[in-house]
Amino acid sequence: MAKTAPRPAGTEPGQLVEMSWDPITRIIGNLGIYTKIDFANRRVAECHSTSSLFRGYSVFMKGKDPRDAGFITSRICGICGDNHTTCSVYAQNMAYGIKNPPLAEWILNLGEAAEYMFDHTLFQDNLVFVDFCEAMVKDTNPSVLKKAKTTDAPNAAVHGYRTIAEIMEAFNPFEGAVYKEALQISRTTREMFCLMEGRHVHPSTVYPGGVGTMPTPTLFTDYLSRLIGIVDFVKKAVAMNDDVFDFFYEALPGYEEVGRRRVMLGCWGAFQDPAVVDYRYETMDRWGKAMYVTPGIVIDGELLTTNLVDINLGMRILLGSSYYDDWVNEDPFVTLDPLGNPVDMRHPWNQTTVPVPQKRDFNEKYSWVMSPRWLHPQTGEHLALDTGGGPFARLYTTALAGLVDTPYVKSTGSSVQINLPKGERLPEMTLEWRIPKWSNALERDRARGYFIAYAAAMAVYFVEQALGRVHDGDTRVFDDFEVPDEAIGCGFHEAVRGVLSHHLVIKDKKIANYHPYPPTPWNASPRDIYGTPGPYEDAVQDMPIFEENGPDEFKGVDIMRAVRSFDPCLPCGVHMYVGGGRTLKKIHSPMFGATHE
Amino acid sequence: MAEIRVGKPDVKPDAPSHVKGVRQGNEKGAYKNEVGHHEDGTADSRRSTGVRAGRRDPILPSMPNVPPG
Repeated sequence: MAKTAPRPAGTEPGQLVEMSWDPITRIIGNLGIYTKIDFANRRVAECHSTSSLFRGYSVFMKGKDPRDAGFITSRICGICGDNHTTCSVYAQNMAYGIKNPPLAEWILNLGEAAEYMFDHTLFQDNLVFVDFCEAMVKDTNPSVLKKAKTTDAPNAAVHGYRTIAEIMEAFNPFEGAVYKEALQISRTTREMFCLMEGRHVHPSTVYPGGVGTMPTPTLFTDYLSRLIGIVDFVKKAVAMNDDVFDFFYEALPGYEEVGRRRVMLGCWGAFQDPAVVDYRYETMDRWGKAMYVTPGIVIDGELLTTNLVDINLGMRILLGSSYYDDWVNEDPFVTLDPLGNPVDMRHPWNQTTVPVPQKRDFNEKYSWVMSPRWLHPQTGEHLALDTGGGPFARLYTTALAGLVDTPYVKSTGSSVQINLPKGERLPEMTLEWRIPKWSNALERDRARGYFIAYAAAMAVYFVEQALGRVHDGDTRVFDDFEVPDEAIGCGFHEAVRGVLSHHLVIKDKKIANYHPYPPTPWNASPRDIYGTPGPYEDAVQDMPIFEENGPDEFKGVDIMRAVRSFDPCLPCGVHMYVGGGRTLKKIHSPMFGATHE
Repeated sequence: MAEIRVGKPDVKPDAPSHVKGVRQGNEKGAYKNEVGHHEDGTADSRRSTGVRAGRRDPILPSMPNVPPG
């Protein structure tokens, strides 16, 4: 697991112990978390998050044919590449002045819903729950496991496990029943994805202007039969999540402080409504609000905006602790948006990536991740928004906005009601996600289970809509278009783990500037020019430690739970850090377990 | 770019965009060139089969034409 390098820190010898995990395992990519821990007071004193790989998509996209953008940007990620393709299609549609035919939009929504179900299940049950499984809890908090053995599971009637300890045993990696079943489920959801977008995770049938998927009745019934096959698993998973996370609050009083930070959430919206969306910038507010996951920004529990134009214009890419030179002296690409609003030089449309590789220095520059922030229009603060791992922000904004109203998912203004159909064993069930008191590790993890249910319920709706069109004889799934000489576009979508935006500038029919902003730059960002720490750093810093092990046996499970709750994803180079800044070896690891020199 | 030394590129950045002689998927009139697809978004069984396609169409005009795959 983690490579811990305990040694006294220079500043206060004997009090703070430096602990580092680099790379953090069971996530995608090369995230390093460097902390100083005060074992006497059982708190994390300081935290830095760092990424040691430069990607450079924004550099090499320049000069390419814009029609290739979806295929190239998909390769940013080996697990949510299709979110990039979809987002790129949204941005290109705006630039080309076209829209997808309604059936194509339903097919895209179905593919994305399958992706959410696939990825969240895999991450939650196979990776996150390892931190909450019997084997881990036995190692880190034996007293908690003892209590779990005598605590009845409130939802035993749904999931069939009598005590909390039995659920934890089912989470055990490679052996537990839930772990193994989740692997089967992610296989099924992957098949569902492939039906709609051709290939997982780099879609072969998703293009600007539509999809290449053949819309036959069988396509949708194949999807639906698989979906109905997994709804029972989803219902059980939500019940188990609730039981385990509620138990942690009860067994470890004060656990709500783990990974807690101010509620500052961003969601860019997902699932377009084909009746409303026309991909024009001028009407972006209207079609953004019609999305089946409402975009929005939540600060301290208040919904600040649901307007995608405001969201777009408030984006600022700050430097401060990142290995780049500033681009303020370069020429801007976009000075006014199509509505006539001024576009800042620090906005992704105007960004020029100027990489400057250098040595890592935690007092100076220490990460390849930049610091995206959102400028609060009233207070002028540069807010370090997080995505809550994706589902947390999505459910939060959707619940507060009260705009989504379908037969299967309904937003009430303070909660989201999710209606799942009858499965093989369990009856029709209504689940309700309510806005929790905190933005912390357990709530981020809990929301993930609920969002799988959300995606499943929306998928039923999308299948109904799509089949309705097919039965009416509609088979149109693509539209012609021409690449304009000059255009700009932006796409807003939700990658599995949170906000995703693509900003595109076309000149001479070629890409002049292209900036994808996926969720992890927001979450894993280092301290910006104003000294504001990024969300991981913020959530871990000053966090209490509940692990019963001392410095010698320290596993850092509480810190890992806090960081993993954000669903970190920093593809795709990994290196091993053995203390003192010496790099032992460099490997590239495109998938779990497989290493290539 | 900053002061990073880079080699000479082997290909132009837009090299894979289009190969001469290959039809571009998004070109105008793509619908017209696809048999069995109609301009109004409907399709007939010619989309699925070239063998006596007409006999696979619905038996009544009021029925939607949903070709089998």
